[in-house]
Amino acid sequence: MSGAPSAARQYRALVLKDLRLELRTRETLIAMVLFVVIAMVILQFGFGTRETDLTRFAGGLLWVPLAFAAVLGVGRSYVAEREQRVLDGLLVAPVSRFVLLLSRATAIVGYLLAVEIVAVPLLGVFFVKGPYWGDVGWIFLACLLADIGIGVLGTLVASMAVFTRARELVMPVVFLPLLVPVVIAAAGATHAVVGQNDMAQYRGYCLFLAGFAVLFGLVAYATFDAVFDD
Amino acid sequence: MTEPAVGRRSGGRDAAVWAAAAAVLMFVAIIGGFFIAPEDREGEIQRLLYLHVPLAVMSLGAFLVACVAGILYLRRREDRYDEVVTVSIAIGLLFVVLTIISGSIWARGFWGTWWRWEDPRLVTYLIIALIYGAFFVLRSSTDESRRGRFSAVYSIVAFAAVPVSFYAVRAARDTVHPVALDSDGLQIDSGIFFWLLVSQVAVIVLFVALLKLELLQRRTDRDLRRLRVLLEDGA
Repeated sequence: MSGAPSAARQYRALVLKDLRLELRTRETLIAMVLFVVIAMVILQFGFGTRETDLTRFAGGLLWVPLAFAAVLGVGRSYVAEREQRVLDGLLVAPVSRFVLLLSRATAIVGYLLAVEIVAVPLLGVFFVKGPYWGDVGWIFLACLLADIGIGVLGTLVASMAVFTRARELVMPVVFLPLLVPVVIAAAGATHAVVGQNDMAQYRGYCLFLAGFAVLFGLVAYATFDAVFDD
Repeated sequence: MTEPAVGRRSGGRDAAVWAAAAAVLMFVAIIGGFFIAPEDREGEIQRLLYLHVPLAVMSLGAFLVACVAGILYLRRREDRYDEVVTVSIAIGLLFVVLTIISGSIWARGFWGTWWRWEDPRLVTYLIIALIYGAFFVLRSSTDESRRGRFSAVYSIVAFAAVPVSFYAVRAARDTVHPVALDSDGLQIDSGIFFWLLVSQVAVIVLFVALLKLELLQRRTDRDLRRLRVLLEDGA
């Protein structure tokens, strides 16, 4: 008789479970994409200008909607677990908490990348009137690094928020302030590429984003067990 | 033999001693900083430094205490560590708010504006205030069986976010914040430095006194609740 599946197989199964669930229902992704587009349009009107070139605000125009969409997506990612008691099943299954953390963070990174596939080109179409398309790869790299940090930290915060009474309120209030450093660095990296073409500054921001992901990866690894220690 | 529901608390005298020491030291620090210390080239507004800097430093100290207590709670699951987490964060948050207010008043006096987004430290303290303010939202919304664990985890996460926020804000902006100590050594008069040191010690003692008083108050509150239950059972 064989034992429990390996951590790699558990991880793969859990990530596929999340992605398959999303592909079947399409609840979260479509809402996140629409949310980002709506937020971009509102920001444009919020500036009170009809200028066609808002390159100097490119970082903010991309990352303010993405940060709020991340809160939306991360919060939604636990809905099935909560409503259909999937989490109870996962917690009694012989799966390490670390694998749970990693798989959920991976799914969130996947959601965010899918949203960015729409948001990053849209930024170029709507707001940037200078050279842009050659730099899209650099922007996606910064997005990926930021997403890893958001995924790890978001999983940790959402796993607590899901058990709170006012979870819809708790999630943004707790998660957004912690996201501020990511928004600063990711917007800075975007602006360094789009607005200034300053690759030294871009590298600095990307290193910061990677450091953020590693630091909060370690914090989440050290504390995630305690969250589910019922 | 069962433990008495209510008894004399040895912590009461201890807290009173710390409170008295804090009162005396704060009085000395305020008199020294505002009336005795030499005037800087910035003028009278610079005297806010004697409150602003020690409060800023001690707020981070309070969050460090909360983080350590959070780690100890997760390891030992003793309620007293949970209380230290909560009370330290509450005092630290109060100090952060006072830091922001005093910094804003100083900015008004020195730059003629209440707020400058180019000042990385003031901006960082605002972010820290939001991060630690969220602690109470999370805590108050969590049921009792999870409250201690979630508070402990959040105290660790929030403390990890403090240096990250400092670095992110500093990297994004040119600093305009005055610096008292840099790689070239002390940039302020030794008289000012002395009173700054006295103020720092006073604020540290104030933190300990507030921590002890609040912990004592919470224990007394628990004792009173237990006493009420005993009296109701007796009746």
